[in-house]
Amino acid sequence: MGSFTQSVGTAFSLIFSADREVYAAVWTSVSTAAWSTVIASLFGLPIGMAIGLSDFPLKRLAVILLNSLMAMPTVVLGLLIFGLLSRQGVLGGLGLLFTPKAIIVGQSLLATPIIANYALSAVRGADARILPTALTLGASPMQSFTQLTNEIRFGMMAAVIAGYGRVISEVGVAMMLGGNILWYTRTMTTAIALETSKGEFAFGLALGIVLMLISFSINVGLSSMQEEHQP
Amino acid sequence: MRAPVYQLAGVEACYQNKTALMVDELALRGDQLNVVAGLNGSGKSTLLNVLAFLMRPTQGVVKFSGKRVRWDRAQLRELRQSVTLVHQDPFLFRGSVAANVSYGAKARGISGYVLQERMRESLELVGLSGFEARNANQLSGGEARRVALARALACGPEVILLDEPLAYVDELSTRIIETLLVTLVDRGVLVIVSSHDPTLGLRLNARTIRLRQGRLVQDSEPQEMYAAKSPESSVYAIL
Repeated sequence: MGSFTQSVGTAFSLIFSADREVYAAVWTSVSTAAWSTVIASLFGLPIGMAIGLSDFPLKRLAVILLNSLMAMPTVVLGLLIFGLLSRQGVLGGLGLLFTPKAIIVGQSLLATPIIANYALSAVRGADARILPTALTLGASPMQSFTQLTNEIRFGMMAAVIAGYGRVISEVGVAMMLGGNILWYTRTMTTAIALETSKGEFAFGLALGIVLMLISFSINVGLSSMQEEHQP
Repeated sequence: MRAPVYQLAGVEACYQNKTALMVDELALRGDQLNVVAGLNGSGKSTLLNVLAFLMRPTQGVVKFSGKRVRWDRAQLRELRQSVTLVHQDPFLFRGSVAANVSYGAKARGISGYVLQERMRESLELVGLSGFEARNANQLSGGEARRVALARALACGPEVILLDEPLAYVDELSTRIIETLLVTLVDRGVLVIVSSHDPTLGLRLNARTIRLRQGRLVQDSEPQEMYAAKSPESSVYAIL
């Protein structure tokens, strides 16, 4: 217990003393997760909205596929992309493996189905009268679509936040594709795994506290958006 | 007598392969208030959706201002600029009353002073002057319906279609809406109102088109309804 209390104290002193190694890992996590979320949103939001708004023969299958991809283990995804980006892989020539870009590629693929699913739920939950109302008021299909997006914007933002929350806390993709290289690809989660295995419990704990604070802030943002979304 | 705005011939509309509307022939003129009457599920809303160009009939011909409707995207956009449908339970967009009322007019490219004037006049017509800054989602049911009506009026359409505009509204709103409908007809707007209230046609001195199970079973002027002897129209005879 004494050791744990001491570790907590050391962890906070690492955070408040702006320990460079801690903040390098924090920055790598935050920046790769941010880029991944932006890329995943560019694909995930339109995919979710398109599935929600259109009728096509394989729609049910597409929804099942999205749900399945949401539950995909990060290490499996990391392994698949590792195969593509490794020297012998199809995309090996790009030299992306063990770079932050590789982490971004992996995390983007991880977040896309999550964001798409949230966007799909937002569209499904939208009032069915929005589009006919806009159309009958003379709006073009594009203007009507913009109005729909505006009406469900909190659902869309929730989708983006959920995607960010997922990628910033994942470890499998970052470990397999980033390689946990100090000052370069070491993220909070990979550093926690490594430092704890080395017995540097306080360092891992410091990163854990920062990660929890980020997750907490994300959830506060998400919950306040959902509250604002209530009619 | 004016030329018909709408001409329908052999129109059939279906929902999930089930026929919801069958109209052999129907012409609607711009100098008349029209009430589409019938019970729930009689095809009133389907007819309004076809007239609003929101639903393509499975069969038949629809003409608007003498031109055949082709139901292609470019023509539909143009036609929808002439017609506005106010739904039975209208949806108000998130934001202020002003944002809602100006939506259709803005979509038509109207802006500046003209837009402000249209907004002011429309709200005045529905008895909601001064409501511009109010949150649209915090209005009473009757007020919300009147805002939806003002939003339709601000578009300056040739045709206004109203799906059950008097259902679940208070006495004040009923009076305002009924007066407005007559005013609009006087201004040359073609007004088509659906209602399950069998007395509405008489109250508004309107032509009544009665639907039953999707079929047009009666099309009569108010005076004809007084004289009608069928058991179906007995409700008018006692008035």
